Amino acid sequence: MDVITNLFPWITNGPLIAVQVMSGLSVGMFLFLVSVGMSLIFGVTRIVNLAHGSFYMVSAYLMVTLVEWLPEGAAGFWIALVLAPIGVAILGGVIEVTLLRRIYHRDPMMQLILTFGLILIIGTLVLLVWGPDNKSVSRPEALAGAVRIFGQPFPSYYLLVLALAPVIAVGLWLIFYRTRWGMLVRAATVDREMLGALGVDVSLLYTEVFVFGSWLAGVGGALAAPTIAVALGMDADVLINAFVVVVIGGLGSFAGALISALLVGELQSFGILIFPAVSIVLLFAIMAIVLILRPWGLLGRPEE
Amino acid sequence: MTVETPAASIAIPRPLGAQRAALAWIVGLAVALALPFVVSTFFIVLLIEIAVIALFATAFNLLMGYGGMVSFGHAAYFALGAYAAALLAKKAGWPMLAALGAAPIVAAIGALVFGYFIVRLTHTYFAMLSLAFGQIVYTIIFKWTSLTGGDNGLLNVWPPEFLRSQTAYYYFTLVIVGLCFLALYAIVTSPFGYALKAIRENPRRARFIGVNVRRHQLYAFVLSGFFSGVAGGIFAFHNGSVFPDFAFFAKSFEPLVVVLLGGVQSFYGPVAGALGFKVLEWLISKWAPIYWPLFLGAIVIAVIIVLPQGFVGLLERRTWRTRPSIAK
Repeated sequence: MDVITNLFPWITNGPLIAVQVMSGLSVGMFLFLVSVGMSLIFGVTRIVNLAHGSFYMVSAYLMVTLVEWLPEGAAGFWIALVLAPIGVAILGGVIEVTLLRRIYHRDPMMQLILTFGLILIIGTLVLLVWGPDNKSVSRPEALAGAVRIFGQPFPSYYLLVLALAPVIAVGLWLIFYRTRWGMLVRAATVDREMLGALGVDVSLLYTEVFVFGSWLAGVGGALAAPTIAVALGMDADVLINAFVVVVIGGLGSFAGALISALLVGELQSFGILIFPAVSIVLLFAIMAIVLILRPWGLLGRPEE
Repeated sequence: MTVETPAASIAIPRPLGAQRAALAWIVGLAVALALPFVVSTFFIVLLIEIAVIALFATAFNLLMGYGGMVSFGHAAYFALGAYAAALLAKKAGWPMLAALGAAPIVAAIGALVFGYFIVRLTHTYFAMLSLAFGQIVYTIIFKWTSLTGGDNGLLNVWPPEFLRSQTAYYYFTLVIVGLCFLALYAIVTSPFGYALKAIRENPRRARFIGVNVRRHQLYAFVLSGFFSGVAGGIFAFHNGSVFPDFAFFAKSFEPLVVVLLGGVQSFYGPVAGALGFKVLEWLISKWAPIYWPLFLGAIVIAVIIVLPQGFVGLLERRTWRTRPSIAK
């Protein structure tokens, strides 16, 4: 026991651990929003959308502009929080209709390469529109401070994220499991041809799913914007993290994305305490192990 | 959607006729040898970079074009070669040629360790695991500041005096890259090369006739890593410095674009692709450097959408043969 306390002096610090758990949960929440959209799109269209991190980034930049542009005051922030993801959803819709629709029947590699090309294009356009400097979004006044939890300071904005988390998770569950649209989406992940044969407009469903998935990434980016430096490299960072999440959880699995996003959030939160230098390597190592032992992820389905 | 074509009509990377191939080699070599006398130093630098990326892309195409395996993390092996060469020359004080000789070996060992796991997977998952290992290499290089210099990279990695001029280094590059091309050509036309193509066409049938599929794929992966390491080593001494960006996943996209531009179905495709890629990069970067990624992305998307039955179509048909399409 002494050895452990010497190595990890924080281990007896209960309050610090509690705060660390909570910040891990909020990071996991942002990751969940991005990866569940990515996972959903894969489940239905069988496309791994590598541009999903770019959608997240665009939403964060839209927040920067909208918060500046809208009138001062608390209301402006909330309106921006609603508008930014809608902007990203429209972007996703345009991309689906003009590009992705043409390649659903193509080789999966070509689809991956195309969405990779989108990363480069969106990244350059963001650079041209917003410039190379880092931006920041100020938190609404009511949530700008910090609260004390077991004597440890904890930013109150994260409390909002933690409060929203179960709402969004339950909301998504209700959409997928208690609406007709959700039923169609789940049916499409199982057998798209049969769904089409039964008279469902599968092409329209693909577009809807892509728009919805983009919107989820947008919500993640908009919510995360006040907690991070909005910068050009964030598309790759988010993509890679979301990628790890969906691979561990299983592509196309809703519960898998939730569990593994929270797991990865906690891993990042504690990895920094335990192995500051190698926390990211740890993440990839876990992903590699999952891919080797269970390529389809913890809760995914094996490749046909 | 995708029409099954009889196996006999599938065009595979077909080496040119022996005579035409020899002629192409001689003409290509003569042009390459004569160029430094007619162009400025700037273009010699461009030529060195074309040679390096042509080798990198040809090594990559050994997997993609011949083996039907698309790696999304090939920059890792390029970077392993570059960093091995730079570290051995700078920190261990090895002579340049020894350090350059060790580069591909280090890259091949990396490819062996990672490839052992990667070749167990197929298609999308193959690409993902290769990307994950690539990012591990990138992160280690980026974070291990005491060894690799982290974000600052390793500077002042120069060749010895007699290779210091761009023209001398150009001829040196030409010799090494030329030897590698001969070796790669020998590999793809050997029984091993044909077994690899058989696996790409139909892994199950290849297994039935007694080909050890996984082992062949692993050998191809290691060979591809080896030659990527050569390219990385040459580039390290040309560039005079190495940076973590060499291993970043955006770098892994370069050989992919080069191969797509040049055509996967030909051994020489990547060379043509490298020429087009670098000239385009030069033209666009000269005009507006920040637009380059935009054009790169647009070119790739245009190639995929506008030329579906062109050179890209070939890769698709052969991959689809083993997988059910959307319309089963």
